Order: sequence, then structure tokens, then C-alpha cells
Amino acid sequence: MRTGVFFCQTGDNMNLNIDAIAKYAANLPEVETVQILRLKPLPDLRFLSDQITKYNLGRVVIAGDIPGYYKPVFTRAMATAGGNTDEIRLASFQEHGARGENAMDRAKAIVACATMGVPFALAAIPGGNPVNHATLIIGGGIAGIQSALEIANAGKQVFLIEQTGTIGGHMAMFDKTFPTLDCAACILTPKMVSVGQHEMIRLLTRSKVVAVTGKPGSYRVKIRQSARYVDIKSCVACNQCAEVCPVKVKSEFDAGISLRKAIYIPFPQAVPNAYLVDEKSCTYILSDGKKCGACVKKCPKECINLNETDHTIDIEVGNIILATGYELMDVSKIEQYKYGVFPNVLTSIEFERLTNASGTTGGRIVTKTKRYNKKTEKDEWIFSPEGIPPRSVALIHCVGSRNKKYNPYCSRVCCMYSLKFAHLIKEKVPNVNVYEFYIDMRAFGKGYEEFAERIKQEGTFIVRGHSASVDIINGEMVVRGEDIFNDKLVEFKVDMVVLAVGLIPTPGTEELSRMLGIQRDTDGWFSELDYNGSPTDTDKGGIYVAGMCQAPKDIPDTVAQASAVAAGVLGSLTSGKGIGHMSSLTLSEIEARAKTIYSI
Amino acid sequence: MSVRVNPMFIDDLDSFGAEDVQLCYQCGDCSTVCPHADEVYKFPRKSMRLLQMGLEQKLETTLEPWLCYYCGQCSEQCPREADPGETMMSLRRWLISRYDFTGIARKFFKSRITEIIAIITVAVLTGTFLLFYGFSGGSIRIYDGEGAFLPSTFIHRFDLTVGAILALFLVINAIHMWYLVMIKGTPFKVPWWLYLKELYQLPWHFFTQKRYSECERKREHKFYMPWMIHLGLMLGYVIMLVLVMVFIELLQSGPKVLWQVHIFGYLATIGLVVGTIYFIRSRFKKHYIQYKKSHGTDWVFVVLLFIIVITGIAQHIFHRTGLLEVANITYVVHLMSVVPWLLRMPFSKWAHLVYRPLAMYLAAIRRDALTMQVSVLNSYPVVVK
Repeated sequence: MRTGVFFCQTGDNMNLNIDAIAKYAANLPEVETVQILRLKPLPDLRFLSDQITKYNLGRVVIAGDIPGYYKPVFTRAMATAGGNTDEIRLASFQEHGARGENAMDRAKAIVACATMGVPFALAAIPGGNPVNHATLIIGGGIAGIQSALEIANAGKQVFLIEQTGTIGGHMAMFDKTFPTLDCAACILTPKMVSVGQHEMIRLLTRSKVVAVTGKPGSYRVKIRQSARYVDIKSCVACNQCAEVCPVKVKSEFDAGISLRKAIYIPFPQAVPNAYLVDEKSCTYILSDGKKCGACVKKCPKECINLNETDHTIDIEVGNIILATGYELMDVSKIEQYKYGVFPNVLTSIEFERLTNASGTTGGRIVTKTKRYNKKTEKDEWIFSPEGIPPRSVALIHCVGSRNKKYNPYCSRVCCMYSLKFAHLIKEKVPNVNVYEFYIDMRAFGKGYEEFAERIKQEGTFIVRGHSASVDIINGEMVVRGEDIFNDKLVEFKVDMVVLAVGLIPTPGTEELSRMLGIQRDTDGWFSELDYNGSPTDTDKGGIYVAGMCQAPKDIPDTVAQASAVAAGVLGSLTSGKGIGHMSSLTLSEIEARAKTIYSI
Repeated sequence: MSVRVNPMFIDDLDSFGAEDVQLCYQCGDCSTVCPHADEVYKFPRKSMRLLQMGLEQKLETTLEPWLCYYCGQCSEQCPREADPGETMMSLRRWLISRYDFTGIARKFFKSRITEIIAIITVAVLTGTFLLFYGFSGGSIRIYDGEGAFLPSTFIHRFDLTVGAILALFLVINAIHMWYLVMIKGTPFKVPWWLYLKELYQLPWHFFTQKRYSECERKREHKFYMPWMIHLGLMLGYVIMLVLVMVFIELLQSGPKVLWQVHIFGYLATIGLVVGTIYFIRSRFKKHYIQYKKSHGTDWVFVVLLFIIVITGIAQHIFHRTGLLEVANITYVVHLMSVVPWLLRMPFSKWAHLVYRPLAMYLAAIRRDALTMQVSVLNSYPVVVK
């Protein structure tokens, strides 16, 4: 069939040399004309139909990062020229992953497939390697737990590694889930327990991947497990060691709003349910065994060994699942909200721990109280159960999200959890005024819109307008904003401000992506192979992404994706076909297969 | 009242400098941080919204662009980098072109070449006329008095003519502005005595620019003082205008320095020199967000002003040092830049000299009228059912 290739490239993709691809396309069989079009103004209908008539084209290939955008004008041109409009083929560089090192070869392959009329996905199938039946899951949050259980329940070996002392991740810190207001711990802890007890799951806490070698189907992974200093098997979590420990530091699990000892259990339902020692604050370890050591003497089970050392574990796995999650951005760099300056400006995760019944105030929502610290001889602001409840609270959405200076993307969960906060505050504190400052209410999921409506009816003041400033006037915190629906500039006196802080990938994401050769997008999240078609795969064979580490998402989506990943892993284990890197496919391989399909 | 939407309006504003309006997602951060936004006049978000919606007819009746002094806080704060400050600046440019009944301002703002050709044409015409006049009646060796090249009596008449043309344009445009704002844009009745009550606003804002001073805030840079510099520049300009229009005969006589007149001239010159250099420097250095983007007309404005100041000082020095031929030539060059500068005034940014105080005055009247309106409405509750 007489084919014409038209390049409509917008020029953002620096890896692609369009002239070289055009030269390659010109040498393909049956290609009559190759043209690089000017896109401003948009390609002219008459010009295109003239070209089609002139070269008597039977098929038109539009090549570019987003060729679909130009398809309508080509279709009309084809129709005007009297051709078959079904023969408009798209060669989409972006969709089929022409980026990174081998972007040029991939782009050429995409064009070649399009000129032959063969769908790219049919021609480009990696494969061939036998698969090891063990799976490595990096990250023990809800995504990792869900994937681990799905795969282990199918009878396959799972290694679940977690950087902190317990699995559970962020979900264990939450009080309620939106929109159903279910207790988060009631959903999560049974799953955590079954992970801890499952015979097919080997749980490695305080561990990190340090090296990955091998090829799809058989990755050799070196894991470094930091010393826990407490024997998991014999510890019964009796808390006697923590009682004698003299060191107090901020609790990570409580987002820094309460204190813990140097020997501690992150939270009572932790899995594995054993204590651990923080080597960064323990007096014994910091002084090389010269001071303290009180807990060792106290422990009735004699399970504390403060001289334990780190060790490495080598494992071989067939598939790797990335579920490394997220963290909150540092909000103190957005100076206008005065986080860290005013005591009662909280981040969302701090508030989550404050309102949680297992938190430091027992779930009472209170403002911070001033207390004199004898050691540092300074006044400190701390949460205490006897604190004064706030009379009014401002919740500010989109702090650092959808902001070109910080995170250009939407963090996706903030609207809903802020609404949930509004509900919890209204529920727990009598006669409280809650002000929600939002830009756009993103209530996108099942039952979310109804939840938002419900919160509005509960008497929360919903202000459509983003607050840009938190100040102290006459000793009272004042939040200013513009109420756009009521056409007013508003100024509310509040006792507490909760910032819906934007989410960013965990700091280890970059190192991990380098180690595994996984690409990351411009915002730092792991890149999936194709956002619509295969949202859980990466372009490395046998490596999958689940949960927040791919992009911000809420708990239902995370769980769904984690299960989908498990399906992919189990598919590769049971099919016996084997897997390979998408990125290792060469141009000639794809060309050859496309030709075979074409000739059929 | 129905309002016609102009979908091409936002593209039209592009050439006035508002390039990023489309990015705005209406969060209201800009209105929150603005030191001038209040209950009645909420901006810049509202103006941005009107612009996005293409409500040209509504925008031309608003005063908000004139109430903004472009401190740049909104643009620094903007999460979308939509540059609300620059948008307000562009709206001011657009309003100047809208008030101008001749359509010249619009051409100048839209096309740099047209503006420069117009300036050169006027300059050449002025130069030719002055040289012709000078050589027909006087001697180039005499600066003032009998047989002078450009006698001060002639210059006085010449000045007044140019001033009259300038004033004519400005008065008509100001009346047009008043019509748009108070008749077309105010849906309720404004009692006549409010115009008298708020009359003090005109000289107050003209001479103090109090609101501009409210914009100044603590900056890291120690030479941040646009308000003071701007005030100096403006006062210098006004003093110079009065000197030239009224006291030109005393000013031009010499070579003795008449201190009671010239002292004003020197002070005005200091204001003009410092101001021009400061603003040219700022536009080059781009320390602050308000100087990041310079519209072509801004450059024409400062550069032309700089030429006028330099030639003015030069001819003064040449006259006093006895280099009369050079002084006369410089004088011609000086006038060649002054005339296009003055005639350009109603069609350029410089017209804000008139529009800004007028806008403050009208804004105060409108606010009073609105308050009365609200109190009337409140005293008669509307019972629907």
C-alpha cells in the first residue's frame, strides 16, 4: 500500500532526532513520501489532501509524541482526497515509550510498525527467560502487604522488606478512612498479622536493598538488614526495657508530636511485635558500650543484645514489586503558612496522629500547651491530654500541591482527608467552627461527592478560595482568604491550622530507580510502562510498581493496584512463558516480528 | 443587563503584556496578599476572571487596575505563575488605549515600529520648524533677547500651543473615563454632592501617592524605594512643566543664574535624573518581579525621558559657559525630544499622571455611593414571601 509518513512533533522530547527518524522512514518499503510538518499554524486541510492526492496515498502515518491530536484534520483530508479513512495510522512515541537511552531505536520501530499497519504492542513482546518463583516486595505499607498476601495465598514464596521496624506504613498512622469513616487500623492490622504469620512470607524489617544484579526472571538481590538489637523470636513486648530507658526522642510513628524511648515499639500492634533499639539515640551504642545498658539488665527474657551487628542477605527472586510509598514535603519552606513558627500550625499527618485514639492525647483534639523543659531550659509547645480544645480550626488545601514552585501535580488525597478532618473535629469538639479553604474540590471516587455534601451539611464553612496567609494579630492566629462564591475577603480567627501538605516520593526512590534501572517521571515518581494499558508494569521485565510510589493515590486505588500487580506476578509464574525487558527489545527484533505479522 | 463576551479579548491583551492569564485557576491567593484589596474593590483575581471570560465591556468600566501599584507580591505568591501583577499592568495599558478616543494609543501599544516612526516624524517636523524659524529671524550666536535664535517669547507661545493640545486630549480622555466608569459602569445613582465631598482626593493622591507607599515593604535589597523615587520623578516632572509653561522667559534669560527660579529647576532635574536612572537600572537588573517584564513602551518612555534630561542639562550648561552656538543646537535637539514626548503623553503609560488620581477620586465616590445604596437596601427589607 502506498504510504505517506507525516511527522507532527512538538519538540519537547530532547532524545529524539526527528530528521534521523524521517530518513529511516524514507527507506521503509512502500513509503512514498516523508514530510516533517510545521505545526504553527496547524496543518492545513487543503495542503494535506493535496499531498494525499499527489502521491496517491493509500495509508497515512502520523508520527509524533501526541499524534492523536492531529488525527481529525488528517481524517478529513483523507476523506476529501477520497481515500480510506481507516488507514490513518498513529505512530505515538510517547505512548509506546520512546524515551531514555534507546529512544531513537524505539521511535524507529514505532514508525516501522505503523507503516506496515501492525499494532506496536503485537510486534513488541519481550520474553524468553525462565522465572524464579520467589517474589521480592520492597516496602511494607498497605500496597506491599496486599501484594504479599495475594501472592503468598496463591502458594508462592514472598520476601517482604521494610525499612522501619514494623510493617503498616502510613495507613497504620491514620485514624479513619474516607469516605466510609471506617477505622483504618481495623482494616489494616488483621492483614499485618496474617503477613507476620504467613508461612510463605519472609518478613525482613529494618532492611534495604543495596544491590540488584541478574536478568528478568532471576534477579539476585543483596539486602542489608540493620541490627534490631532485640531478638524478635523471644521478645514478648513487656515494655520493661522502655520503662528504664533514659533517652527520649521524637516518635516517628506519631509524626513527631510525642516522645518515645531509644528502645521502643513503634505502636502496640506492630508486626513483628517486638521492641527495637534506635541506634541513633541509644546512649550505649553511641558511647561504644561505655555508658548505660540499663535495658539489657532489666529484660526478663534476656533478648536484648546491644552489640549486634548489621548483616547482609542474598536472595534470588523472579519478580520485584516496588511499593515504596511517599512522604510529606517539607512545608516549612512555604513560609507564608508559618509552619514551625506558630505552634498550632500542623501538617495533616500530625493532625492524623492527634485525632487518633491511640495517639498522644488519646484522640482528644486539643491545642498545644506550653511547658518548661528543664533540660534545655526553654519553653516547649507540646500536646497534652489536658490541653484546651480549639474553638475554631482552619483547614487549608493544596499546600505545595498544584503549585508550580513546589509540586505541579495534584496530591489527590488532600481534599478528601481534609473533609474527613472537618467531620472528625465537628464530631469530637463541641461548638467548634471549621473553615475549609479549597481551590477545587476533587471528590472523584465512589461516594466521595456524597461525603463532601455531607460535610457541607454538617455546618463546616466551605470557603472556595485558597488562603495565602497565616498571621498572628493581637495574640490570635488569623487566616486570611478570598471567599470567591460569596465575593468577600474573609479573615477568621482560629486556634489551629491544619495544612493539607503535598506528597512527594520517598528519598530512597532515586537510589532504587538507579539500582534497578527504572525510569522516573519529572515529579520523581516511578514511571509505569503505559499509563492506560499497563499501569503496574515498568519497562524492565519482572519489575512492577504498586501504590503511591507510582503516583499519589488513595487507599482503595492502592489496594486495587497492589492486587493487580499480584495478578501480573502470578501470571508470569504460572504461564511458564517467561519474561524480558521491554527496553532490551532491539529495533531489528521488532521489525522482524512486525514483518512476520504483516505477511500473515 | 446583558454583557457581550469577546472570546478574542484574551489574545488581544497578549500584545499589551498579559501573556499568562490563562494559567490562573482562581485560588484567590493574589487578592489575599494584596495590600490594597478591600471589601469593595477586590483584585487582582476578579480582574483576571473577567479577562479570562472575555468580559471586555465590564472591564472597561472597572477601576481596579488603577488601584494597583504593582508591588509584585501577588506575582511572587501565585502558585500558577500566572503573573497577576503584570496582568493588572497590562490592563492599565489597555484601559489607556480604551479611554483614548483617537485610537492612537492602541496602535502605539500594539506596534513598536508605528510608535517609533511617529516619534521620529514629530521630532523631525519640530526640528525643521524650529530651525526654519531660527534662521529666518535670528542669529545662532544669540541665545536670548533681541535677535535670538529661539527667543523665549516665541518658545513660550510654542510651549503653550503644545500644552493646549496635550490638555485637550487629556481632558477629553478623562471625560471618557468618567463616562465609562460612573455612567456606564455604575448601575445605581450617585448623588452630585459626593463629587464635592471627595474632591480633596484629587490633589491628595496626585501629590503624595499615599497608596503607593503602602505597597513598599521590607525587601532584602536595601535600595528598594520605588515609591520615593517615583514621587521624586513625578514632582520633578510637574515642577518642570510649570516652569516651562509659565516661567520660560525667566528660565531662558541669562547667563546669570536667577536663583529664585532656577533652584526649582535644579531640584526638578535631580528628581528626574535620579528617577530615570533608577528605573532604567531596575529594568536592566530585574531585581524585583515588577521589572522582570518590560513592555516596549516602557523602554521608549524611559529612554526618551533620559534624552530630554541630558539635553536639558547640556543646553543649560552651554548657555552659562558662553558656548551659545552649541547651546542653541542642543536646545533644538532638546525640544525635538520634548515635543513628541509631550504629544505622546495622552497615548502612553504617562497618562496615568491624570488617570490614577482621577481613579482614586472616582473610586472613593463610588464606594460612598455603594455604602449609601447598601444602607438604603438594609433599611427596607425585601419581603419575598
